[in-house]
Amino acid sequence: MTGTGPFDEDADAGAVDVRADMRAAAGVLSGGAVPASGRMTSDLSIDEELVLHSIGWEPVAVVSGVSIHSVPIGVWNWGQGEIAYASAAYARSFALATERIHEQCSRAGGHGVVGVRVEWAVERHHVDVALTGTAVRPVGAPGIGTDPVFVSDLSGRDFALLHNAGWSPLGLAVGASFVYAPRRSMGTTMKQSGRNVELTNFTEAMYAAREAAMERMQASAITLGGSGVVEVKVTEGPMEFAHHAVGFTAYGTVVHLAAGEHRHPGARTVLAMDDPAPAFDAASLRRA
Amino acid sequence: MSVPAEAPGDLPEAAVRRMGEGAFTSGLTVPDFAACLQMGLEPVGFTQGYCVMNWQWYGMSPLGGGGFGYQWGGVRGYSETWNCPHGMVSAEHRSWGQNYEQSWVEDAWATGFSTAYARMLQEAASAGAHGIVGVVDSTSPLSDMGVVEFRLQGTAVRVIDGDPPADGRPWSTYLAGQRLTKLVEAGYAPVAVAASVASVGVWANCVTQYLSEGSNSMFGGATPGAEITQLVNAQMMARQIATQRVREQLGGDSLHGAAMTTVQHERGEGDVEVECVLRGNRVRRFREFDPMPAPRPTVRLL
Repeated sequence: MTGTGPFDEDADAGAVDVRADMRAAAGVLSGGAVPASGRMTSDLSIDEELVLHSIGWEPVAVVSGVSIHSVPIGVWNWGQGEIAYASAAYARSFALATERIHEQCSRAGGHGVVGVRVEWAVERHHVDVALTGTAVRPVGAPGIGTDPVFVSDLSGRDFALLHNAGWSPLGLAVGASFVYAPRRSMGTTMKQSGRNVELTNFTEAMYAAREAAMERMQASAITLGGSGVVEVKVTEGPMEFAHHAVGFTAYGTVVHLAAGEHRHPGARTVLAMDDPAPAFDAASLRRA
Repeated sequence: MSVPAEAPGDLPEAAVRRMGEGAFTSGLTVPDFAACLQMGLEPVGFTQGYCVMNWQWYGMSPLGGGGFGYQWGGVRGYSETWNCPHGMVSAEHRSWGQNYEQSWVEDAWATGFSTAYARMLQEAASAGAHGIVGVVDSTSPLSDMGVVEFRLQGTAVRVIDGDPPADGRPWSTYLAGQRLTKLVEAGYAPVAVAASVASVGVWANCVTQYLSEGSNSMFGGATPGAEITQLVNAQMMARQIATQRVREQLGGDSLHGAAMTTVQHERGEGDVEVECVLRGNRVRRFREFDPMPAPRPTVRLL
């Protein structure tokens, strides 16, 4: 099963002797001495953990926060302007879920949470938000740090890149707005029937929802003391269960410049030599 | 995983014979196979473990399929009562609510998973393997009467010139290939796959029912737009119980690459069932951490 050849690992001078490492690992599992280490749980990939360690951070524990808010009956169907109950339920659910994940992070001794998986759902009668991520801290750091605990949906890799560039995450900025698209009058409906016309009631409702949601997200970023929001995710469109209501949601990670000035990551340009071979296209045979 | 110390000795004779034959079998992709050889891991055989469980509880569990009715016997663990703030209103009024850990669901899941796991380990051990890499597990209902199949499979491997595991029980990991290589290079030895389930049932009280249905209570106590705390507590507890169970399996080891999946099933009138499955790789540090230098960012020209 082993031997030398064109792919012989010895050709790579200075490479880690992974076979020796594997034998050492097997030695520990056969009853060998184990170095003292803290117990941690992490939902990061091994790549993320390695890259976190390379900037002097380590995972501590898997943490989560949940909140579910009620949306009163009937609010989706008839009305004008913003559906305030729904927008407020979304905002409060995010805020409380964040508060709970903060609390778990602090209890675990983390200084922040990275790789947060944001699961949310807007249903007819309730808005659900669940956040799950890994609490992290500088290697060996005791207890809670001096800076406020941050919650970020950036991956371990993105957190490391941000850190090396002199920036820090501060928290999640969230904004959402749900707006009624006013129903057209019977006359307008008849007039527009079968014609190529813009339904301005929907377009305007969508713009109103977007402006309100983006403004709220920016406002929450400013409240957190950030200078910007990265990795913003947006959703928009009519609600499945109420076709005359449109929604716009946005969230992302608030960042601020922690170092004196931005540090350029100094990326090296590489030219990959492994272009895939052109796929065989049977159709071209017919053309020929 | 809480596997019986003595794996059940019910491996089919044909499987023992097959595993002892010359050619190895493997579920590894070619890159994973190459990475294993690079690490000094020799594939021994493609091992599987199965267990088909009949659900004791005849309920609404997604693992057990449809049905109805609740079994209260043997309830243990988390339980929280939610009283009605309105007093006696009517016979239909939900004047009492309860969050309760569905220990019978958890027990059935743990039995099914650990039995299938033990059988997979037994196959590997009988073939002289030291460990199992690239473990894949799944559960699927076989019928609508609460019959569930637990399935685990992975590739049994031997560490070339390495020590066999203590007590002959092979180690196991969900990882394979380069991810396993990086784990070992980072100073972690794979110990076992770790998995647990927590199941919490919610019997909604009147306030939870009103809030879940969006209706306004004419009796007060259910402020429109309020947080549905009974459901929130059930969700939070399901996560905490699953995490605690996995922590209990870890001993002094760590959990790496955890995946937490939570599902909420509506039963109607505010009643729900929350299930949280947490799985990951139990790993043990075999040498002090030696952090790698900061990786150099690259930009790829296409």
